[in-house]
Amino acid sequence: MKKLAANLCLVLLLGTATPVFAGEELVLIVSAGSAIDDLDSSEVRKLFLGLTVERNGHRLHPLLNESDAELKEIFLQNIVSMSDSTYDRYVLQLSLRQGHTQPVVYRRNAQLINSVAADMAAVSYAWRKDVGHDGRIRILRVVWHD
Amino acid sequence: MTRSWRARLFAALLTAFAAHTAFAGHEQSSSEFEVFLATEALAGAGQPHPRDDDAWFNADVIFGLTHDKFRVFGEFYVVPGEHELQRFQVGYELVPETLLWLGRFQQPASAWNTENHHGRYLQTSITRPSIEDWEDEEGFLPQHIAGALIESRRQLGSDGLLMSAGIGAAPSLSSDRYQPVTLVDNNPGRHGRALAAKIAYLPDYAGTSSAGLLWGRDQLFVRDPIALASLQSNHATLTIYGAYADWSVAQWRFIGAGYYVYVDLDSPTRDQSFVSGYVQAERQLPHRLTAFARIEDSSRMQDSTYVALFKDHSGDIDITARRAAAGLRWDYARRQALSCEFSHVVSLQQRRAYELRLQWSAVVP
Repeated sequence: MKKLAANLCLVLLLGTATPVFAGEELVLIVSAGSAIDDLDSSEVRKLFLGLTVERNGHRLHPLLNESDAELKEIFLQNIVSMSDSTYDRYVLQLSLRQGHTQPVVYRRNAQLINSVAADMAAVSYAWRKDVGHDGRIRILRVVWHD
Repeated sequence: MTRSWRARLFAALLTAFAAHTAFAGHEQSSSEFEVFLATEALAGAGQPHPRDDDAWFNADVIFGLTHDKFRVFGEFYVVPGEHELQRFQVGYELVPETLLWLGRFQQPASAWNTENHHGRYLQTSITRPSIEDWEDEEGFLPQHIAGALIESRRQLGSDGLLMSAGIGAAPSLSSDRYQPVTLVDNNPGRHGRALAAKIAYLPDYAGTSSAGLLWGRDQLFVRDPIALASLQSNHATLTIYGAYADWSVAQWRFIGAGYYVYVDLDSPTRDQSFVSGYVQAERQLPHRLTAFARIEDSSRMQDSTYVALFKDHSGDIDITARRAAAGLRWDYARRQALSCEFSHVVSLQQRRAYELRLQWSAVVP
């Protein structure tokens, strides 16, 4: 009985040690009505670094999702491949050099989803669990998975 | 009258573009507003007074408006006792990543200033290399042009090419500083022609590394008798040849630039030339820390009567011939950093100083 309790405790402890995003997927999203069919990794990187990416003559708008810390970390590692401060300074420098507009930052998931849904040129990223059920949003592809 | 006319034109341009911000949700309109703030403390030995770029506080206000292919961009710099519209440019995007600007802009032949501008937060070190100092901070190379600028970033496979070229009015030259053309005030003195260009290779089109060549030529007219007596020439043509690299490898970043400056004076005065350069290494460390070190050196600057023109007659070390600096930056919060820097400076007159600087820098909002 003691052994069973100890094993149960061990399982529970291991469970709590698992990252909060275990089994989760980070997906690239656009509005359901958007004409954007696909974006490769280099285009996504260019877009979020503030450079011009166009589809059908329209400039795409990158929206930064900073609704949680893990999501931001995965974005920095897997999409732009830069540290937090390097990314921030890079985008600011580009803005100061050529007057580029910086990506808009969203700290609330609901606001981000509403903005993506309303803007046919917007591109962002989110956890699949937050957007998978929303008919206004289309998933372009998986950027990262656990 | 002239001043009033310019101020009205400036206000009209701002109003016209500001009207478009009402379309904030429109797909082709947007606006930017950032304020770069910094405070600095300086202690040391051998340097009687803080240099002009060591103000205890500075603010660099950036505003930009974009509507379709049109852009307006401005930079207003404030330090205690002084404020100036450093840049005001109206631009048109000819093709994506190629812009034609009209107005007052930073000359593209500076490796440091075209990356870091006035915003202290952008540069890792607290000080900038002496050869890159601004005109109003004891710099002896012109840094602003009023005219036309074309900037282009072209993709070549996964690599890229960065090109910029400017043409316009150069500053006039007084006894201790340049007087660049200002857009909101009178411009006494004669302004010659300025040309500047930069071409750089980008190993990754969207990356941070680049290496390239710099060139500039400024026709400068002397506007006061002290400068005229020092130079024995009422006109000087400054030609700048430079090369630079700003390279990031994993956690390391290396920035280096070298400039050869040729000063062509009216006959019978002898022409002059000097060389200046620097190398800075940066290493990202855990806990959002970055260590940095920089070495600056020069040659023949002490023999140049042209460089001596920019000497502060109070006797401060205002022109650095050599400097070794090292420090640490801590990005402790989003868009906020604390930095410290220790440097050993040798002036043109071989005077030595030790300086310790502490700085807080940030960008808001």
